[in-house]
Amino acid sequence: MDINLDSALQTYIVEARDLLHQMEEALLVLENDPNDSDTVDSLFRGAHTIKGSAGLFGLTPIVSFTHGVEDLLDRVRDATLNIDSALIALLLACTDHICELVDVVAERSASLDAQAVQRENALRERLMTYQVSTPTSPDTWVRQSVIDDSAVRAANLDWHISLRFGEQVYRNGMDPFSFLRYLNTLGEILHIVTTTTAMPALPEMDPESCYLGFDIRFRSAQTFETINEAFDFVRDDCAVHILSPRASLSEFAALLGQLPESRDHAERLLVESGSLLPGELDSVQSQLPTQPSPSTDLELPADPVQLRGDSAPQATAREQKSRESRYVRVHADKLEELINLVGELVIAGAGAKLLASYNPESELRDATAAVAELVEKTLDCALRMRMVPIGDTFSRFQRVVRDVSKELGKDIELEISGGETELDKTVVERIGDPLMHLIRNALDHGIEAPAVRQANGKQARGRLRLNAFHDAGNIVVEIIDDGRGLDRERILEKGRERNLVPAGATPSDSDIYNLIFEPGFSTAEAVTNLSGRGVGMDVVKRNITALRGSIDLDSRSGEGTTVRIRLPLTLAIIDGFLVGVGEAFYVIPLERVQECMELTSAANDAARRCGYIDLRGEVLPLLFMHDYFSIEEAGAGSRRQNVVVVHHLSKKIGLVVDELMGEYQTVIKPLGKLFGALHGFGGSSILGNGAIALILDIPALLTRLSEDSRACVSKSTTTSESLSVSQGQRS
Amino acid sequence: MAKTILVVDDSSSVRQVVGIALKAAGYDIIEASDGRDALSKLTGQKVHLMISDVNMPNMDGITFVKEVKKLPAYKFTPIIMLTTESQDSKKLEGQAAGAKAWIVKPFQPAQMMAAVSKLIMP
Repeated sequence: MDINLDSALQTYIVEARDLLHQMEEALLVLENDPNDSDTVDSLFRGAHTIKGSAGLFGLTPIVSFTHGVEDLLDRVRDATLNIDSALIALLLACTDHICELVDVVAERSASLDAQAVQRENALRERLMTYQVSTPTSPDTWVRQSVIDDSAVRAANLDWHISLRFGEQVYRNGMDPFSFLRYLNTLGEILHIVTTTTAMPALPEMDPESCYLGFDIRFRSAQTFETINEAFDFVRDDCAVHILSPRASLSEFAALLGQLPESRDHAERLLVESGSLLPGELDSVQSQLPTQPSPSTDLELPADPVQLRGDSAPQATAREQKSRESRYVRVHADKLEELINLVGELVIAGAGAKLLASYNPESELRDATAAVAELVEKTLDCALRMRMVPIGDTFSRFQRVVRDVSKELGKDIELEISGGETELDKTVVERIGDPLMHLIRNALDHGIEAPAVRQANGKQARGRLRLNAFHDAGNIVVEIIDDGRGLDRERILEKGRERNLVPAGATPSDSDIYNLIFEPGFSTAEAVTNLSGRGVGMDVVKRNITALRGSIDLDSRSGEGTTVRIRLPLTLAIIDGFLVGVGEAFYVIPLERVQECMELTSAANDAARRCGYIDLRGEVLPLLFMHDYFSIEEAGAGSRRQNVVVVHHLSKKIGLVVDELMGEYQTVIKPLGKLFGALHGFGGSSILGNGAIALILDIPALLTRLSEDSRACVSKSTTTSESLSVSQGQRS
Repeated sequence: MAKTILVVDDSSSVRQVVGIALKAAGYDIIEASDGRDALSKLTGQKVHLMISDVNMPNMDGITFVKEVKKLPAYKFTPIIMLTTESQDSKKLEGQAAGAKAWIVKPFQPAQMMAAVSKLIMP
């Protein structure tokens, strides 16, 4: 059969990875509570499914390796093997290895690399040590006649098959005729005799019971095993006797003794079916025992359950709490497309609404308002679809914390809270690496060794906490450790050394701590707390900033460090603040906007001279958007101008714009490659009237500006560099 | 009219493969992710064969078979259990419950088709 299993294989890969993840979680649960039988069950089921499905695709390496794991888990389930930490460690290593095997499939590479093969062999050996030699289960069915298969190839290919179906056959879902039809696919039924002697008198007959028997002369070149296999499913409910083409007369004689019919009748059946010639019958008769032992073949139990009564009754529907809720798997691309389309819909809707507002007909306005409301709901709904709880990402770190703390000889407990907090899947995917880095840092350098902790009057067991919560359209992720905290003095010293802190200045504690996010700052000898993983904290910061998020940290010497990451809920849509500069429009992410105020013409003149204004006793540098983006003044300079105060971390700046147009829900369209070199823009958006608005990337803009001003100071020039985006490029 | 087969397995990839193979052979398929789901999908329509996994969340295969045997409309429907060689006891339990046929996992689609054709014809 030629069927294409490619798409199913993709499903398998996703499924296997999910299952492996669940298994890993289950193992970590078992490490604390080895007697949790539900978890053992789900662990076993995971291995079982991974192996079973792998077999469908012929993924032999996965099948063979997982088989060993499954065996082991089966014994854990039967409680013949106890869970201890060594077993957990082995099983964790095994899930890792299966994951690797799945990766091999996913990457369509030929096989594991040499190292992985070595690991596999080592794991197999360790699995073997748990193995006990179990006696091979005896064949439950005793073969009726022993055949030399090579003899089958003799000229005579005619078999004799006697079938006596039991009463339960129909109730067990079996149709005797389907077996006969199947038999015909293995050879040719030359002759068939039906016997109904088991049929009771009509009043006693149960129409749901089967009373039929067949004697068949069957021509086939198949082996005994193949023909015998045809009756596998009906073995419990049917006495099957198969005599090979080379069966001796004594075998026929034995068969006659075993058939339930009277001997005369049985003989007649054999002759009628053509398997025995009348002449042969005499010799068979001479071989028959005078008193045939009573047949037991048809004494089938009325209900097979009684037969197996001793086997433990399967726990009546162990209704597992439906933790494993049901999902529809949707390809991420499809969701992406949906969100894109809804984004377009929002824009088109805004256009329609704008047109309607020019129209005096109120009915049209009502209609567009209703549409707009629905569009908004659709948008929310579409975005929610991509929202996933961050808990899954968090719980992956249980394993990291466990492994790293073992490796370091520390005793550290990971506490997770706020795992149900949801955020966009694309954000979740990209937050993993920075989180990993921060967590490893906290484990490695933050939390002290147990002896040191006790000496400092702390509990020997260190605590690391991952927390998440929503805060004003953002999600905040906190990594909190109760370790030794950052070394303020050494960071300050290092900062001075690197000219990051002006000589003589004493920055605030938080400014000092945040120095470690500077590129190239963290080096092992400079900072003892957060360092030494090869990748600096600046990379972490860059990753977070790329997600339009921010990161800062707080630390108390001897008490611990809190790293706080602030992330947008989604990357597709932002709440923006729309401003107009000349003919152009810009969107400022709302979370960056602190306040707006009017710039009076008197203040304007002064401000233009010095480049800053007095904001309630604070110096607020100004950025004149007209100049900065080289936009021509639309009208005379007399128009009212406004200042939008934007902030990032501790920096603040006032953007001088013409018009404040208010909050605006913005669907972000990425800028094309052509504009890749531009700094200060996070994307673009299309307004309801079809105009294009550029989205300002405030952190990048501020960085750029401070670089510019430094350059300006050194060059003693006063004109700021322009980002040279002209109107022409944008339209 | 094409015959209908109910496929019960918590692994969607198994359902997919089994489904592809059976559809290619001309059967109609009803899929269910566990025993409970399967029971809810047995609404009186004619089902000619059921293929069920043993280990499933919510309701396992053995319980499912026992429940099916209580349904007048389906008590004569043949059921194939998907078992593994490590689960001999499960196989016996399944047979005791009334699922007399089985396929040992891992299996190739062709093996499954052979098992199906022992029980029903397309």
